[in-house]
Amino acid sequence: MAVTLRGRLATSQFGAMEAKSSRELQARNYLEKHRIMELLTYLTSALLFSRPEKPREYLISILEQLRTAKVSGMAFPFFMDNSNITAMFQMLDSSNKGSISFIQYKEALKTLGLCTADEVLKDDGHGITCEKFMLEVNKKTQEICGKTKGKDSESYRSAAELLLLH
Amino acid sequence: MDATTAPHRIPPEMPQYGEANHVFELMQNMLEQLLIQQPKDPITFMIEHLQRDNDYVPKIVILGPPASGKTTIAMWLGKHLNSNLLSVESLIAKEYSSLAASARTHYQKFQTLPNMLLVRLLQERLREEDCVRRGWILDGIPETREQALLIQTLGVSPRHVIVLSAPDTVLIERNLGKRIDPQTGEIYHTTFDWPPESEIQNRLIVPAGISEGETARRLLEYHRNIVRILPSYPKIVKVITADQPCVDVFYQALTYVQTIHRSNAPFTPRVLLCGPVGSGKSRQAALLAQKYGLVNVCCGQLLKEAMADKSKYGEMIQPFFEKETAVPSYVIMKVLKQRLDQQDCVERGWVLHDFPRDRDQACLMDSMGYKPNRVFFLNVPYDSIIERLTLRRTDPVTGERAWALGLSAAPGPS
Repeated sequence: MAVTLRGRLATSQFGAMEAKSSRELQARNYLEKHRIMELLTYLTSALLFSRPEKPREYLISILEQLRTAKVSGMAFPFFMDNSNITAMFQMLDSSNKGSISFIQYKEALKTLGLCTADEVLKDDGHGITCEKFMLEVNKKTQEICGKTKGKDSESYRSAAELLLLH
Repeated sequence: MDATTAPHRIPPEMPQYGEANHVFELMQNMLEQLLIQQPKDPITFMIEHLQRDNDYVPKIVILGPPASGKTTIAMWLGKHLNSNLLSVESLIAKEYSSLAASARTHYQKFQTLPNMLLVRLLQERLREEDCVRRGWILDGIPETREQALLIQTLGVSPRHVIVLSAPDTVLIERNLGKRIDPQTGEIYHTTFDWPPESEIQNRLIVPAGISEGETARRLLEYHRNIVRILPSYPKIVKVITADQPCVDVFYQALTYVQTIHRSNAPFTPRVLLCGPVGSGKSRQAALLAQKYGLVNVCCGQLLKEAMADKSKYGEMIQPFFEKETAVPSYVIMKVLKQRLDQQDCVERGWVLHDFPRDRDQACLMDSMGYKPNRVFFLNVPYDSIIERLTLRRTDPVTGERAWALGLSAAPGPS
């Protein structure tokens, strides 16, 4: 509250300066556009999982790998292959009935970072089978990959923040 | 419940590594810088930030009324911490800068600087390599609330703010004795801080503007401004009284500047209580466990439970208990390990008492990977222990301890 008060004082005194609340919006947009939070989550989990002696060097090496992958459009080093997708499907389908519910499917895509919370996905009422799941995951990753090729792309693969702990 | 919704089993090495390497603070600092600078290419920015490794360089602001000794303290801190000192004079005196040149002309005419110009000068200086690498100490900046706000919007935020304070009369009188050495710029005082070398003594000049009226006027202005600047820096301000020898002020300032503020990092307490028999370990452990939601691990209790459960460790322990000799360390360690590895201990933290009892046991515990992060030694004089133990009674039904003579707690020192 003190922050917005200060912001209002600032605008009253210096017209050219932006109010604090719009800076906040700007900051939030920045975070979303570059998917910073997913990146930081991924870095933290990689760090805690491998527990290197020198955390800074390790983080630098991961970031450099990310950077080269983005620039050259090469296959991302931590990309999930088909066996991982099948394993994930089996974890979701604990009762082995061969298909997962739509809600589970959407949650899984969100965890993989392949769709945002408010994206609308088609629900054909039949449940998602393993093949369909694999198809959709691959398709969506290709889409995001396609966006990372080229110099003016701004998103990068967040399939990166995969479930390293599982 | 499928695997994605079941609670994850987090091995205890992870939070320990996180705490030891300050992973949370590292990420927090990086995120702060990302949000302030908002670079177009975040990955390259993050790589550079990590390589710079300047999360803990000094970032200090020293404020105070005229004649409180700000510049002296700032200079001493700068030398001690090997950091850069920035004041209005030093910013204006900068060479090779068009901003500084225009500032100089303005200052000569009006004796003050417009806020925006000062802040831009500051920004330019802070971007230089030595400020980035070795930190900075601001002497007397910000002077007004507007400057404080402008500095804040630039993303410059100090980690420690020191405010010197002293009664006005002391300051007015002190200012009369101010002398400056024109060669080094150091400030001396006729009574409190007189240089020993006679050649410096001969050089000293009387600075302008130290008459009583002038000082009183500046003090008024200072008091008007400081009240509105301080709310910009909640939680990091420390007020030090300047009405004491400058060496004392310096040491207080130095101690404060070297403290690291508490961070928001997630913290699972692993508490160890040590102390002689009768010092109150089990009672304190119970209170701590209740207050902070920790798991109370009493070693003696664990061993008795193992025996009562007739587990395999219980069988091992039984003969020692019967013969009333000490149970060997490795057996205790196994039972303890089993308890401490359970999920509730890992998640909520634990308070351990009654073990280790000697150095070897402590080394053993350390080598097994159970490192406490808070250790308390309860110190009680010998006579008090005797007194407490002779009066101690135990209720066999509830297991609670009480003290004879109707005391509700152990007797205190007489």
